[in-house]
Amino acid sequence: MLQFISHYTEQYSYLDSIRLALEGGCRWIQLRMKDASDEEVRPIALEALHLCRNVGATFIIDDRVELVKELGADGVHLGKNDMPISKARQMLGSSFIIGGTANTFEDVKAHHEASANYIGCGPFRFTSTKKNLSPVLGLDGYRHIVKQMKDANIQLPIVAIGGITAEDIPAIMQTGVTGIALSGTILHAENPIEEMKKIINITKP
Amino acid sequence: MDININNKKTSVTSTNLQELAQEMNLPEKGVAIAISNQMIPRTEWANTPIAEGADVVIIKAACGG
Repeated sequence: MLQFISHYTEQYSYLDSIRLALEGGCRWIQLRMKDASDEEVRPIALEALHLCRNVGATFIIDDRVELVKELGADGVHLGKNDMPISKARQMLGSSFIIGGTANTFEDVKAHHEASANYIGCGPFRFTSTKKNLSPVLGLDGYRHIVKQMKDANIQLPIVAIGGITAEDIPAIMQTGVTGIALSGTILHAENPIEEMKKIINITKP
Repeated sequence: MDININNKKTSVTSTNLQELAQEMNLPEKGVAIAISNQMIPRTEWANTPIAEGADVVIIKAACGG
């Protein structure tokens, strides 16, 4: 299960990145424009929503709970410094997906109790796309958290995130996580569409 | 037949994802389903068969924890 997190490079805009991911077969998109204003994000989010709807992809927006509600996106992803999940749930009700970033099992547990619907768990390794990074988890970190979730009977889908490349995916999936979130590795590939296709194939059992 | 839903063995009667969504009482909005790690658009649910032992992940909005 693959989530693509929008990103930009000198070559590609946010929307380009989403187009490429969809064309490569990804059906779960997160629009993340951390330092932009809602006004800057709105038109891009509208277009991204349109692109996702055309192919039936799930569309999540990072951080902006009100915009998610206004545009009718599928859900919101909340990082550690964003709005608390319980508050977002109050605002969104029960028809929007809420994802939460976790670095530890304690985070997972707290998000579960606050009614998160999936967990973005990381970072797998050091990454330059995110500032204020928590300690890296590595494979052992995921194994440990997956086991603790099992023991606590928490069945939330958990997606590994943070500096993951195609080569890492088989070993990460082996830890028992549900899926992978990718950003930089797709756009930095020579052919992002082919890279996405390749990665989707790797995640097939 | 038994399938795995979010890593939990679950007995279902559905033979495709559309039926499964109905059987699980999934809402119209705020749901994403993956089978064998592949996200399946809602428009393809009816054409996506599920077999014994299928690995299904359901991401579903819900109020409760």
